[in-house]
Amino acid sequence: MSARNPGMNLDLEWVSKVRVNTQAVLKRAQQIQGQKLPKKQWQAAWLLKAVTCIDLTTLAGDDTPSNVHRLCLKAIQPVRHDLLKEMDMHDKGVTTGAVCVYPSRVADAVKTLKAANSSLPVASVATGFPAGQTPLETRLQEVRLAVADGATEIDIVINRMLALTGQWEAMYDEIRQFREACGDAHMKTILAIGELGTFTNVYKASLVSMMAGSDFIKTSTGKESVNATYPVAIVMVRAIRDYFLCTGHKVGFKPAGGIRTAQESLVWLTLIKEELGNDWLCPLLFRLGASSLLADIERQIYHHVTGQYAAYHELPMA
Amino acid sequence: MAGSTNKTVHDIFQSMESGPAAASSTSTAQAWLNNNSHLLGLFIDGKSDVPANRPSRMLTDCKGTQLCSAVVAVEEDVSVCASSSLSGFRTWSELSCSQRANVMLRMVGVLGQHGVCVSEMFDLCDAACPPASLVRLLQFYSSWAQLRGTLIPGWTPLGVVLVVVSDDCSLYNLMIKVLPALAMGNSVIVVPGLRTAAPALLLAQLFTAAGLPAGALNVLTGSDPSLGATVAANPSISYVTYSGNKQDGVTLCKATAGFGVPVSVSSILGARCPFIVFESSDIDSAVDAVIQSAFNKRREVHWVLCVQESVQDRLVSRLRLRMSGMKSVGLQSEEERFLVEAAVQEASSRGATLVQSCAPPPSGAQYPPTVICGAAPSSPFVVCPPPGPLLPLLTFRSNSEAVTLANHSPHGQAASIWTEELTLALETAKSVCVGSVCVNSVSVSDPCLPVSGHKDSGSCTDGGAEGLYQFLRPSSSSSPPLPRSSRLSMDYSHFGSAAPPAIIIPDASASAPKSLPQLVCPDGGRKDVRNAVEAAAKVQPGWMKKSPSARAQSLLSLAKGLEGKRRDLSSSIVQTGLSLDKADEEVELSIARLSDWAAYCDKVQGGTPSLPLSGSALSLPEALGVVGVVLPDKNPLLSMVTLLGAAIAYGNAVILIPSEKSPLPALTFIQVLQASDLPAGLVNVITGSRDQLTAALANHSVIKAIWYWGSAEGVQFLQHSCSSPLKTLLLSSQQKGGKGARDWTHPSVLEEMGRNAVQWKSVWIPTA
Repeated sequence: MSARNPGMNLDLEWVSKVRVNTQAVLKRAQQIQGQKLPKKQWQAAWLLKAVTCIDLTTLAGDDTPSNVHRLCLKAIQPVRHDLLKEMDMHDKGVTTGAVCVYPSRVADAVKTLKAANSSLPVASVATGFPAGQTPLETRLQEVRLAVADGATEIDIVINRMLALTGQWEAMYDEIRQFREACGDAHMKTILAIGELGTFTNVYKASLVSMMAGSDFIKTSTGKESVNATYPVAIVMVRAIRDYFLCTGHKVGFKPAGGIRTAQESLVWLTLIKEELGNDWLCPLLFRLGASSLLADIERQIYHHVTGQYAAYHELPMA
Repeated sequence: MAGSTNKTVHDIFQSMESGPAAASSTSTAQAWLNNNSHLLGLFIDGKSDVPANRPSRMLTDCKGTQLCSAVVAVEEDVSVCASSSLSGFRTWSELSCSQRANVMLRMVGVLGQHGVCVSEMFDLCDAACPPASLVRLLQFYSSWAQLRGTLIPGWTPLGVVLVVVSDDCSLYNLMIKVLPALAMGNSVIVVPGLRTAAPALLLAQLFTAAGLPAGALNVLTGSDPSLGATVAANPSISYVTYSGNKQDGVTLCKATAGFGVPVSVSSILGARCPFIVFESSDIDSAVDAVIQSAFNKRREVHWVLCVQESVQDRLVSRLRLRMSGMKSVGLQSEEERFLVEAAVQEASSRGATLVQSCAPPPSGAQYPPTVICGAAPSSPFVVCPPPGPLLPLLTFRSNSEAVTLANHSPHGQAASIWTEELTLALETAKSVCVGSVCVNSVSVSDPCLPVSGHKDSGSCTDGGAEGLYQFLRPSSSSSPPLPRSSRLSMDYSHFGSAAPPAIIIPDASASAPKSLPQLVCPDGGRKDVRNAVEAAAKVQPGWMKKSPSARAQSLLSLAKGLEGKRRDLSSSIVQTGLSLDKADEEVELSIARLSDWAAYCDKVQGGTPSLPLSGSALSLPEALGVVGVVLPDKNPLLSMVTLLGAAIAYGNAVILIPSEKSPLPALTFIQVLQASDLPAGLVNVITGSRDQLTAALANHSVIKAIWYWGSAEGVQFLQHSCSSPLKTLLLSSQQKGGKGARDWTHPSVLEEMGRNAVQWKSVWIPTA
């Protein structure tokens, strides 16, 4: 499909022109949330699409090879085979978009997936996740090591200090260096929107990240007090649209943090469809960062297929 | 639908299409219709009534399928209804304010109990009034019902108010007339349109169940809006107010001319309204709002997208992206589609480019949302917007050009302004000549916002405390209502064309002023009116921009000038046949009146209404513009300074036509005017044949309002001819011997006239 976003020179004039009207964005978010969600087989199909866009994530201090192993196998078979077969979707390669782990667990994940003959990408957070408050040199080294371990997607966090103080040039340079360190690995840039203050800042940070060559922009680490909200997502996808209209490059979008229910995943897909169009509704350009979401989606699919509500223990754990 | 249900999960997984919209249930509303055997009757005297042997009219739902039929009221029903409304008015107006407020609050409760039926019925009929906004209306007006005696002392209800709406009018716009009329203690007869008939009948039933006395709210259904005129002919009606499209409003005005009943019009539908996008705006949000508001099947106004040239490309590219995938919008009929296609064809042939969501379907009464870029104000589809989801896009260069572009339209209903700059937003909001301005939002309506249709869009104020006064009159008998009359047969085109008799001022007597020529009163004509309007229109904007205190100073200097000339003036009044004492008294009162107006200049103020939404609202009083005043015979000096003072205190320019019978005081007053520091052209005095000059005023579109004292023919002529372009009329017919004439000395005249001299604009600035 399309080539990666190569980035461009920093265009500060463009960044300075950004205007965001907060109440209009909030109103739009309400309106999207108020839209009727798909039902019946449309719902099932949309939920499966959501599954293929999930970055199945575990980012905890107590991660060990065994739970990473479980996570990877769940990612390969996210929905029970018999349920998929009922819908004639068992042979359509339904897996999650990727698994997402800490740098130290990348090797474990790569090993499991390789053993399972899966080409599922392994994503790693890096650059002093989640705060990003470590020296640039260690952050760059972290990226390089994760890539060396076999991660094909790197979720970097931006330096909030630079964004909040308006040092866009410095931020651009940092992200540029991360992109270089990533090499062929796709780079997802986490804006940590909960700590950026205003929508205008979110928009500007999105633009600068894309100019610096991000393949994805991502809302939050999941560790801030405010995570992926619909209004902030609207601001970010509008920045993506803006960038696309000006450069012709499609940058992906990844909301993360606090997305737990199947219902929410449908709203997210609606939001992307409305604001960016169907092109963005694929794992190449849209990811949902989540851990417990998959279980709820699987229950909804179970209900669609069987007409019964499943107990959690009826569906395989991650 | 049949094909789409076969779609497999995998198909949908690939295409990611949205499923078919689930049809909402309408069973409760259908049950209500079944209960009424699908034949809705008239609602008279607190009960539904299906008289025998009446024709009926088919009502359809929003998809065009038959819903039920409604009885068509005939003459006989109208008189039954009118007498019921009269007795309903007696019962309702005799209740205390808090009793009326309680009834209105109980309506909220009843609406809640029957919420499902109400909302289904509204959906079914496409009434465009969410039950929540109906509740908001009821709560807002019940509070005014409660406090009428406290906050609006000295005003009483009019009597029986007739509310007429056109077929395409929404229920919200009907209720924003009905509920304030009820809250003020009037009884109301509703003549609903196609869309509002079934909901109005349902609401009348529910309101009666909530304790509204029988006759306080009657509903008459008919086959077309002409029923409105039939009802207006009944002498029990005190006031007629109309909401809906322009055309039916004009028809109603012409059909009711000469009945001796005041008619006000809100032509809220079909107006051309500017949607202004500045380069300093959040363009994505503006595009969102365009998509939400401009292409709906049931949009009330024709938006014209005005975009600053520097951001045109950015806006159009976003529009193109967002519009892709929008479905075609249903039209009323195949003929409409033909009109739409003709307009698009013509636009393309003149080099306009189209942004279309999809190709037009080969046939059927539907058309895709279409933006016509490269439109100009002279394009036929801008001048006369066709139906259908078309949106012309104009460009402007500077902020001031945006305002010019926006104001260059006969309509003055609404505007939407998009900018993040507060100063620019407020400057533009104040300069656009419309009743309702939404900044960074579109079409926000709330009953607390007073909105007067500017220019051709209306002749009354709806909403807010200011909108209540159309349903009230001063309780002192100082201002008699227009006497009911029957229509005279007259030739409108010849009104005022008869050669006027030369007015000869009575021969000089001992008391005659020496400074005035004692010959013939100047005989002004059409050309003089034209020149006066030109001068007035030129000076009026500057006068309006002056601070209220500067206007007050000018009025005070006028009062002073009057004082200096008091002898001349009082002798000029004596010539009209009054005793010297009486004449002196009138001059003194006139001096005091001007001082009163000077003091009132800064007393009509806007406010900051509070909406149940987050943001700031402003209500702003504005001058009407140029007002034509045909002065009464009685109290020639006092009435003149009262009306002149009302007009110019609030920023209007005025053209005075002095009484034919006693023009001398006005002519003497000219010297006072000349000596004052009022800007030249602000006050113009033209003597001559009243009828001829009235016709000249009526035929000048720049004049926004006419205040008329004169013959019954004149009243009928003005009602007939001032409907398009619309003028705000204040009419009094002078009867022989001055019977029932206004008492100009009464102080209530000040507030009443002051309210007639302003129109209201509301500005809504939402914030997070």
